[in-house]
Amino acid sequence: MTKETYLHDKHVALGARMVDFAGWHMPVQYTSIIEEHKTVRENVGLFDVSHMGEVFVSGKDSLAFLQKIVPQDISKLAYEKAVYCQLPNKKGGLIDDLIIYKLGINYYLIICNAARIDEDLNWMVRNKKGLDVKIDNQSHNYSLLAVQGPKADELLRTMGLDTHQESFTIKPATICGRKLLISRTGYTGEDGYELLVENEFSEELWDKILEYGAEFGIKPIGLGARDTLRLEAALHLYGNDLDENTTPIEAGLSWSVPKDKKEDYNGKEVIMDQIQNGTTKKLIGLKMLDKGIARHEYEVYKDGKKVGVITSGGVSPVLNANIALAYVKNDKNICTGSIVQVMIREKLHNAEVVKRPFIEKRNRIKI
Amino acid sequence: MSITEKILCSKTHEYILKNDDNTYTVGLTDYAVEQLGDIVFLELPDIGTEYKKGDTFATVESVKAASEIYMPISGKIIEVNEPLVDAPETLNEDSYEKGWLVKIEAMGDESEQNDLMEYEDYKEELE
Repeated sequence: MTKETYLHDKHVALGARMVDFAGWHMPVQYTSIIEEHKTVRENVGLFDVSHMGEVFVSGKDSLAFLQKIVPQDISKLAYEKAVYCQLPNKKGGLIDDLIIYKLGINYYLIICNAARIDEDLNWMVRNKKGLDVKIDNQSHNYSLLAVQGPKADELLRTMGLDTHQESFTIKPATICGRKLLISRTGYTGEDGYELLVENEFSEELWDKILEYGAEFGIKPIGLGARDTLRLEAALHLYGNDLDENTTPIEAGLSWSVPKDKKEDYNGKEVIMDQIQNGTTKKLIGLKMLDKGIARHEYEVYKDGKKVGVITSGGVSPVLNANIALAYVKNDKNICTGSIVQVMIREKLHNAEVVKRPFIEKRNRIKI
Repeated sequence: MSITEKILCSKTHEYILKNDDNTYTVGLTDYAVEQLGDIVFLELPDIGTEYKKGDTFATVESVKAASEIYMPISGKIIEVNEPLVDAPETLNEDSYEKGWLVKIEAMGDESEQNDLMEYEDYKEELE
């Protein structure tokens, strides 16, 4: 059965086009994907991302448990900080990608992908044997609202946000007299916040944000623009750009994997070997030179030979160009500046390998 | 008479409009265009190409996906809407006056039009 978030009726009332996504009935667009995209890049947008999973981890072995399941070094994660992580299997392939937040001593929050909650929980339970850890899936009790864009901070301040915080931090905050957890993170490449609230408060908060946001040009944003925004920022989408046969090194996520973590973790051997000796495939960014849009699963060619496949592709409203992420053979002749071809409707179309992200990210706020 | 009173629509959301000189203008219905969302790319056929009813003759891409456009009746392409290729977003505003796709010379029998619907019936079918 398709699930609905607590904000479902709000979306319908706003005239959103609804689609099934990861088992949820979600808004794909309210007016126009391009218009919504530009709103987030220029002003501020509001997203309902309540379909995402929230899992709390507690108990005296919490740290040991997290160290075992992610390549990142959670011992270095300070109180109220967040870190982007992956959940590898024994072969280094990814079960999911996550953000882990430290909420207290032996108390962590994991935010994971909606479509992967069950797999993640199964995997976590299998990995907690012998450890004093409580894994508490609270996804059904929480709503998650994302406020993203250059005016997000100012907007929340107008609403009485009472904390100063850097990117990748989480704090208890009060907005309009209600307590919630607020994280300076997002999935757009812009500055912004994600607000974790109990379901009962979500409708009131949604309305308040739109009301206070009017003077900042706020718009509700659907999953369509969420996808084009994350693609421009070259943020991976699980299921497209990440899967159980792809390691974080192949996915271009080496920057997130520490080389000096002492503890063993699932897939460490493969991951460390790839850091040392390289991989057979790699993720690249493409900008189409010929007219045409590269889409998920289209083939990539170089010198007449198939060298890879597009995992995400579409339009970049900011660059006014068509862009894509692709996995290709790890060949030194396929590097920034090289020309490859994408097979679109049985014709080869030229594309240039370009640096990721496709646009400059503005989500690293220091205080 | 408004344009929608003169067109015939297919179940796959193309329309044909009979012109005075016995040619037909082919395009997408306003409903199709609205469902597609922001249209960003259009591939139209070459003049002179012949298609059978049901053949894919064009591709339209929205932000979300690529969609194939089918011939509502058999015909030979005699004109394509070139300005539309450079400004595919025009389709979102108007798929009839400015946003037509091609003009064709019909090649098949009139009976090919039997499964096409008048706009009012087409709209009803959608509901």
